Amino acid sequence: MANPPSGDDRRNPHVFDRRKSSGSSGHLELLSKMSGHLAVTLNLEETIQKALDLIVKFVKAEGGALFILEEKFNTLICKASAGPVDIRGIRIRSGEGIVGQCVSVDTSRIVRDVQQDPNFDQTVDESTGFQTRSILCAPMTVNGRRLGAIELVNKSSEDGFFSDTDLLMLQTLASAAALAINNAHMAEELVEQERVSRELELATEMQRSLLPQSPDSHFPVSGTNLPAYEMSGDFYDFFELDDDRIYFSLGDVSGKGMDAALLMSKTASLFRCLGKTILEPDQLLATINRELCETAIHGMFVTMVCGILDPRSGEVRLANAGHEPPLVQSRYGTFTELPASAPPLGIMTLQAADDGIREEQFNLNGGTLYIFTDGVTEGSLQDGTRLEQSGFQTIMLERSDLPAAGRIEAVVKLLSDTGRKRHDDITLLAVEDNRPGLPGVGPADESSLVSRYNFPARADALHAVREVVNNACESCGCAREAATDIMIAVGEACQNVVRHAYRDHDEGEASLEIYCKDGILEFRLQDTAQPVDTEKVKPRWPEELGPGGLGLCLIHDIMDSVEYLPLPEGRGNLLRMVKLIKGYDNNET
Amino acid sequence: MKHEIVQKQGATVVIFRGEIDLESSPAARETLLKCFGDTSNVIVDLSDVSYIDSSGVASLVEALQASKKNGSQFSLAAVSEPTRRVLELARLDKVFTLHDSVDAAIQAHA
Repeated sequence: MANPPSGDDRRNPHVFDRRKSSGSSGHLELLSKMSGHLAVTLNLEETIQKALDLIVKFVKAEGGALFILEEKFNTLICKASAGPVDIRGIRIRSGEGIVGQCVSVDTSRIVRDVQQDPNFDQTVDESTGFQTRSILCAPMTVNGRRLGAIELVNKSSEDGFFSDTDLLMLQTLASAAALAINNAHMAEELVEQERVSRELELATEMQRSLLPQSPDSHFPVSGTNLPAYEMSGDFYDFFELDDDRIYFSLGDVSGKGMDAALLMSKTASLFRCLGKTILEPDQLLATINRELCETAIHGMFVTMVCGILDPRSGEVRLANAGHEPPLVQSRYGTFTELPASAPPLGIMTLQAADDGIREEQFNLNGGTLYIFTDGVTEGSLQDGTRLEQSGFQTIMLERSDLPAAGRIEAVVKLLSDTGRKRHDDITLLAVEDNRPGLPGVGPADESSLVSRYNFPARADALHAVREVVNNACESCGCAREAATDIMIAVGEACQNVVRHAYRDHDEGEASLEIYCKDGILEFRLQDTAQPVDTEKVKPRWPEELGPGGLGLCLIHDIMDSVEYLPLPEGRGNLLRMVKLIKGYDNNET
Repeated sequence: MKHEIVQKQGATVVIFRGEIDLESSPAARETLLKCFGDTSNVIVDLSDVSYIDSSGVASLVEALQASKKNGSQFSLAAVSEPTRRVLELARLDKVFTLHDSVDAAIQAHA
């Protein structure tokens, strides 16, 4: 703490005009000490109290007090007090009394006789018994922000009056204290910000932990979520049921803030909890909807898809409440949209009946179901254009070498590596029918041909076809139960050709080819009739009983894969049925 | 497919043999429905049926519906393994009344 150069004395003549040079050195030392302490203090109240004590002693005042302004209450509170009475904690309304006025008009004052000042407030003297004669008061302000004031009372020496020098001393202390108080305020705000940000971090972590991980790379369901901000309003989830089927779900909560994230957590929890017992996706959505409606938050809703995959058969049951249509990619690379059948959840109560949420049933047949939020299709590419559904389909086809999890990661990478700020969460779920041993898409392998049989499409020819099937099964080492089942399925398929394909003509031909390789039995049944509308030939259970619908049910139940293959000539139908005969005894349904 | 109808202790027992498929199911249907004109106690013996397809199952379902309509007793007896398998796959094994033997069916109908 060096003595200031003498030039400072001259630049500040008012500060030192009534003091000797040894005195001025004392001023500077005191100010420098107090300012230094205030600048680095960790305990503001203690430091302010010390500084107040020092200046009261130095200026030879009888007492002093430091008031902090609480803007919220427009009140000054005494935080430090020196002298015969301790007035810490007393409150003065801003603008009242001499100190209040100093703060409100941001001006220092020397009041030599308080009795002559109309602003003087007697109440403190009355309550303490102290007698105030004169007051020196300086406000504390930083960058126009009013923080409070320091006042000294009753000069106890010389002429009993506070001097301009005293005022300048006090003003300097007030400036240093103001900075320290301001710093402390900022530090508090920073701590608060830090706390909020830490809480947000924990919430983000918590939300991430709600998203499941695929147990291994062969697991047929995989998902990904990339929030635009800390918290996401999207979610996906999946879990295995006791019977090895997999429940999956994806949802998007309207809005993007913390409120959306909380509603997302609630909806995801409802899915996981209720999904353990409600094994019909339409019923599950209806139940979640009722729950959300009961505690509806005004203007918020959830679009949601949920379904069940049977990984042993590729069969999917799916229900969609107001969500962007999921896409099914067949093994041949064609895409089908599955539009929503119900409005979003949380708006109005629905029944899982005809006028409510409807359930779709279909077989993936080696294809993949993609469910995604609009953050994907509306996501920006590097050139600023949107990905759109067409772009999504292109990536899926281009990256068909990858498993489904890799394909959706490719989409996320494309949308996140653009260098652009994203405004929406990206969430994707892929449900893949990746049963091992599903035969390839290409033409049948001639070397694995077991039997080729042409037959007239007549009822009396079916017995012979079954004989052929039975013999083929036997020669391929099929277990007896499996052979019985296969005969039922192929018999039904041939019966359908006889009953439907040539209904307008008496005569028609059909052919059955049977292939066997690596424990996979493949049947190709071809006719030359008018192509069937594959949309219409869907399995129906006995409540809509007709032999045709029941027959298809039997075929789908028994076979691991059933599909119509496209015929290059565009005439006739080629139905392919595949049965895995390895380990059949264990997989029997 | 061959069929035979025998009267046993007040019940009309229809015995099918061989395969009930698209070719033979119309005959099976006709046989069954005709029974309900004469009697109200019908038992179908399926012990010797080696194959039944969905059209054959449909004939049985139609007979069941006819029996319900006119208040007749109707059950399947001694269902062969291949037939039982199809009924299971079609989820119809709980819809029909099944008995282990014709005698058990007669007793149950009495």
